[in-house]
Amino acid sequence: MILYLAKRLGQTFLLLLGVSILLFVLTQAIPGDFFSEAQLNPNISADVLHSLRSQYGLDRPLPVRYGRWLAALIKGDMGYSFSYNQPVTRLLLPRLANTLVLAVPALLVCWAIALVAGVLFAGYGGRWTSRAFSFGTSMMLATPDVLLGLAALLFAARTHLFPTGGMTSVGVKAGLLPAAKDLLSHLVLPSAVFILSAVAPILRHVYAEMKQVLQSPHIRAAEGHGIPRLRLLFRYALPAAANPLISLFGLSFGLMFSVVLVVEIVLSWPGLGPTMLEAILARDMFVTLGGVLLSALLLVTGNLLADILLYVADPRIRVQE
Amino acid sequence: MNSPAAGPLLSVAGLRVVYTGADGRSSVALSSLDLEVGERETIGVVGESGSGKSSLAQALLRLLPSNAQVAADRLCFRGRDMLGCSHAELRQLRGEGIALISQEPALSLNPVVDIGRQIEDVLAAHRDLSRTERKKRVEAILRDVGFDEPARIMKAYPHQLSGGQRQRAAIAQALICSPSLLIADEPLSALDSATQAEVLALLRRIRSERKLAMIFITHNARILEGLADRVLVMRKGEIAATGTVEELAASKDDSIAGLISPEKTLGRVAGPRSSVAIEPLMQVQGLSKKFIQRRPFSNRGFEITALNDVSFEVHQGVSAAIIGRSGSGKSTLARCLAGLEQQDRGEILISGEKRAGAVQMIFQDAGAALNPRFTAFDVIAEPLVIQGRLKAQERRERVETAMEEVGLDPEWMDRRADEFSGGQKQRLALARALAANPRILILDEAFSGLDLPLQARMMRLVLELQQHHSLACIHITHDLNFVSLFASEVLVMDAGRIVDRTSPAGMLESENPVTQAIVSQSESLRAVGLEAVL
Repeated sequence: MILYLAKRLGQTFLLLLGVSILLFVLTQAIPGDFFSEAQLNPNISADVLHSLRSQYGLDRPLPVRYGRWLAALIKGDMGYSFSYNQPVTRLLLPRLANTLVLAVPALLVCWAIALVAGVLFAGYGGRWTSRAFSFGTSMMLATPDVLLGLAALLFAARTHLFPTGGMTSVGVKAGLLPAAKDLLSHLVLPSAVFILSAVAPILRHVYAEMKQVLQSPHIRAAEGHGIPRLRLLFRYALPAAANPLISLFGLSFGLMFSVVLVVEIVLSWPGLGPTMLEAILARDMFVTLGGVLLSALLLVTGNLLADILLYVADPRIRVQE
Repeated sequence: MNSPAAGPLLSVAGLRVVYTGADGRSSVALSSLDLEVGERETIGVVGESGSGKSSLAQALLRLLPSNAQVAADRLCFRGRDMLGCSHAELRQLRGEGIALISQEPALSLNPVVDIGRQIEDVLAAHRDLSRTERKKRVEAILRDVGFDEPARIMKAYPHQLSGGQRQRAAIAQALICSPSLLIADEPLSALDSATQAEVLALLRRIRSERKLAMIFITHNARILEGLADRVLVMRKGEIAATGTVEELAASKDDSIAGLISPEKTLGRVAGPRSSVAIEPLMQVQGLSKKFIQRRPFSNRGFEITALNDVSFEVHQGVSAAIIGRSGSGKSTLARCLAGLEQQDRGEILISGEKRAGAVQMIFQDAGAALNPRFTAFDVIAEPLVIQGRLKAQERRERVETAMEEVGLDPEWMDRRADEFSGGQKQRLALARALAANPRILILDEAFSGLDLPLQARMMRLVLELQQHHSLACIHITHDLNFVSLFASEVLVMDAGRIVDRTSPAGMLESENPVTQAIVSQSESLRAVGLEAVL
């Protein structure tokens, strides 16, 4: 187990290093920088710009800049935001927390829905239910996330049941319980949009894997021994179908990020999404780098988690060690 | 023989099973089948593949997939109508009244659930017992099927057990609720011959100890001798004949007698003449091959000697058989001969010179050896395309001839490979080999996946082709069967060496322990064709 974990951790670390190099080079390949626009301003002299660039280290060669950034990163310093005029860590970490508060519970709910519904549809569905299933999930896949978000906004504006944006309301009574209630009411719509746009691909995967496993001889045999249907589905068929689903679970952390960015921007959730968008448009280099690196970190963490889950779930992988 | 008690245990009349394909076409698997099984009676069911044997087993447990329609005038177990049963009643019956042992234990046990849990769940589904009591019973049944350390087996997963152990675990799972009828659907066919003998002995013991009634489905009718009270011969979804093994073997109907003793259908082909050429067609000299296995992150590798100084020769138009247990190096030898593997040392000469292309190989699993998306034409023409010597029209003609020769309708040329049945796929593979105009044909357990009557027919086809094209054939096999009867020479392999060189008849007098072991295994299974040697 320890060897397996150590190997996976090592791979994860190397992967992140590779991602950081690629990211850095790519952001540098974009022509211009944060101060390019200031060049057009006749009131700022070339000397000022030069000294600003050298103050931020932008005049050094690429490897040096990367090395300094990486060295700082290891110490937990992600650089400095040009436009917010504060350290990137202080800017991004609270927003990352907001994003995770929205995305992680929503993702887990997605998986719970997909697993239960996928197994039951595959296990009990006839010809017509399976057609309805594939039609329904195709519709969900085809609907753009933005449209769902706008529909949610419309719903909130018309019914006044839920707030139209943000994470907290002004003037909420002090105390833990009212604050939690306020947060929950803000969470409902973004979570619903997130779930509606992320659940369909997961559901389809669960359904397809289950359909395939239910054809296999060992399920037929277990049925022949009189194992009750629900137990057959959840204790025999689902574990046998689990491997590709666990890998997908890891990948869905990456999927989560791309969905949540759109949801946050449309429903103005104060997460990474809006900040990232601004930073990219303003060429606020270190914020962009930090944000993308955080999302890469999330993805590889998800994969690492999937590897650990695979190890726990599949006896055949345990033996290979 | 046991006398049936009053009132049959299972009574079936007019059982029909019809499958509806995805394209809406329906095919009849069983048409009007009558069957009665008394208490403690053993019924053998034999038939070719496609005769409806497995549909019968699944129909009796109502386990058929949803595209199968089952109807019967009567389907009663212990006087209870099974067709009118609710799902819950049916579930109770499965495992407790009627239990099933399936063909392939590696596939019929769940790969990610441990053995103990899989057996215990069957018990939990039918009996209201405490956890400790259940564990105790699982241990007892595992001990009963011959495991010395039941506790260890309970914690094991199927992939950690050998084929024989898996089948014994599957038998334990079937017996845990003491059913009164056991349906064994080809329980031996996926096992190697030593394990077959062991599992057969276990089934015999359990049947008499537990006073079980049994339906034993097999394609090897010989093992039913002394086991089954009655044998049903199935053909095209119907019962073609009933009787004891001896009665059926003496049947005037050729196809029934052929099912019981497939080698009789072979007897009509004259055996290959011994060669007149003095110069051997293929000479193998001092062939050696080692594999080095290395673990990841470790420099220590260990060597496996697959072939150790193997020399022999094969003459034109003659068959040789290479027999050896799994791991004896026979498959590596075959792969070296076919040029799929490069030997470390030694030489393979064909007509005195080194050259490739004259050797074609037929693999055990034709299904896996053919690209399912290729049409029959693509499959057969592939070696011709690779050689690149013929024009399109000539290729087409060559493919037509090859298909006719192996008994496939050239009209089927544009069908996809996966639309052919198991036997037809093997014929396709044979046609592909023939199209390349080989001089030597290597058959690596080529027919062992097919049922016996089909094996006999394929063997007959190979013999005819061999005479017609004066091919040399090398049959590779792990046990003694009728394939070896047509070899003029038998080479016995063990641990990468040829340890014995004899004729089929000479195997019985051989003093070599490896040869003796192979012969005695085949005897205990009453391997088809053995008596022709004896």
